[in-house]
Amino acid sequence: MAARRVAVTGAGLVSPLGASLEEFHRSLAAGRSGIRRLAPELERSGVQVGATVDWNPTVLFKEAEAANLDRVSQFALYAAAQALAASGLQVTDLNRDRVGVSWGTGMGGAHALEAAYKQVYGAGEWRVRPLTVVMSMSNAAGSNVALRHGLRGPFANYSTACSSSAMALGEAMRAVAAGRADAMIAGGSEALLTPGVLAAWQALRTLAPADRADPAASCKPFDKRRAGLVLGEGSAAFVLEDESRARARGARIYALLTGYGNSCDAVHMSRPDRDGQMRAMREALAEADLPPDAIGYINAHGTATAVGDVVEAEAINAVFGPAAREVRVSSTKSLHGHLLGGSGALEFAAALLALERGVLPPTGFLDEPDPACALRHVAREAERIAPPRAVMSNSFAFGGSNVVLVAARA
Amino acid sequence: MDTLARIRELAAKEFAINPEGLDPKAPLDALGIDSLSFIEFMFKVEEEFGVAVSDEDLKAIRTLADLERHVAAALTAAGKA
Repeated sequence: MAARRVAVTGAGLVSPLGASLEEFHRSLAAGRSGIRRLAPELERSGVQVGATVDWNPTVLFKEAEAANLDRVSQFALYAAAQALAASGLQVTDLNRDRVGVSWGTGMGGAHALEAAYKQVYGAGEWRVRPLTVVMSMSNAAGSNVALRHGLRGPFANYSTACSSSAMALGEAMRAVAAGRADAMIAGGSEALLTPGVLAAWQALRTLAPADRADPAASCKPFDKRRAGLVLGEGSAAFVLEDESRARARGARIYALLTGYGNSCDAVHMSRPDRDGQMRAMREALAEADLPPDAIGYINAHGTATAVGDVVEAEAINAVFGPAAREVRVSSTKSLHGHLLGGSGALEFAAALLALERGVLPPTGFLDEPDPACALRHVAREAERIAPPRAVMSNSFAFGGSNVVLVAARA
Repeated sequence: MDTLARIRELAAKEFAINPEGLDPKAPLDALGIDSLSFIEFMFKVEEEFGVAVSDEDLKAIRTLADLERHVAAALTAAGKA
């Protein structure tokens, strides 16, 4: 069958910048940062700042229910429920075999796993909670979403570090385009701000210390003073649907997901490579059947590492050529932190908002752009433009995975 | 509070059921308690009462009344009843 066009008909999220798409939009438009100093027990790891979610599980769960779900699954369920509700898609016994889930997460249930390790290695106690496996397994979040909503279509869980949920979106798009599903809940979540995990990240020497003047300004992508990434947590989810069915039922169509590039650097386990990024961007543009100058805004990967920002800037310039002088670029990690497995999805939400509304979120705190990152930055403050024809979102991961998504006006 | 009442209260909280409605003689799966939920619940019971229930004993527990008997016996044996 000819590939079907895929529409985004619902979106939901819970993040360091708010627990709804609208709140997230307002925070981005205001250039507000959700990065803060971490609680003292977490700062003992050496990590000083992070972007946490102000979370109360009782918004969605009874106490006993919440106790049996890791934080990463709680976030996923919240975001997915919001996305489904926003879409108005009715899942019934007539269609539930045709609605699947495609989820991304880097670590899965880190809190549950760490609690078990604390028992065994900390307390020397060999009794751990029986639900430890099903709470911590990498697919727990996505499986819980499918379970909660009775979604019996194709299920996949992607774990490719920083590109996990971008890959989940791209692969979900493929499933709908190929007719393997009529709709997919696609997204990602991450919740790994636990002492052990933070200690591991601190050891990599890639995290930013707290900015001396203002901890909220600790993540400075593309800036000469950038000092590394800031970890975050949260979730974003979307309903992706066959466009003709979406139109037939009168659904609100946020955008069409038209391009998905997926490549691997195969160069280094952590250092990014320009060539791999270029191939992913070119593939996404080719699939979307768009020239570079059709892209009005790029939500960059932009983690604020010394090397990463430069490589991405070079890759964008190489792919966009003269159009690189026009296409606006920002890294919203400056405001919401790096959600790792959840970043692809949350940043796709930022790109989607830019496409829909023409309000481009800024790279926060970009006071001194590094000349080695020659891009048309949206610096410090949001920029209002005529809603663009298409947007791009980049996710370039440890391990060398590169995923690029292109969304276009419906 | 006696042992059965405490167990009933824990079960009500864990499975979000009205404690009045908990029939101690009803089979556990009739109360909507599946095997995974059951072993998780047993973990919490063991923590609450400071007892251990062996795999053999677990197989013999079919109702809340069975559970109460096992916990009471374990508490007596441990000199805690």
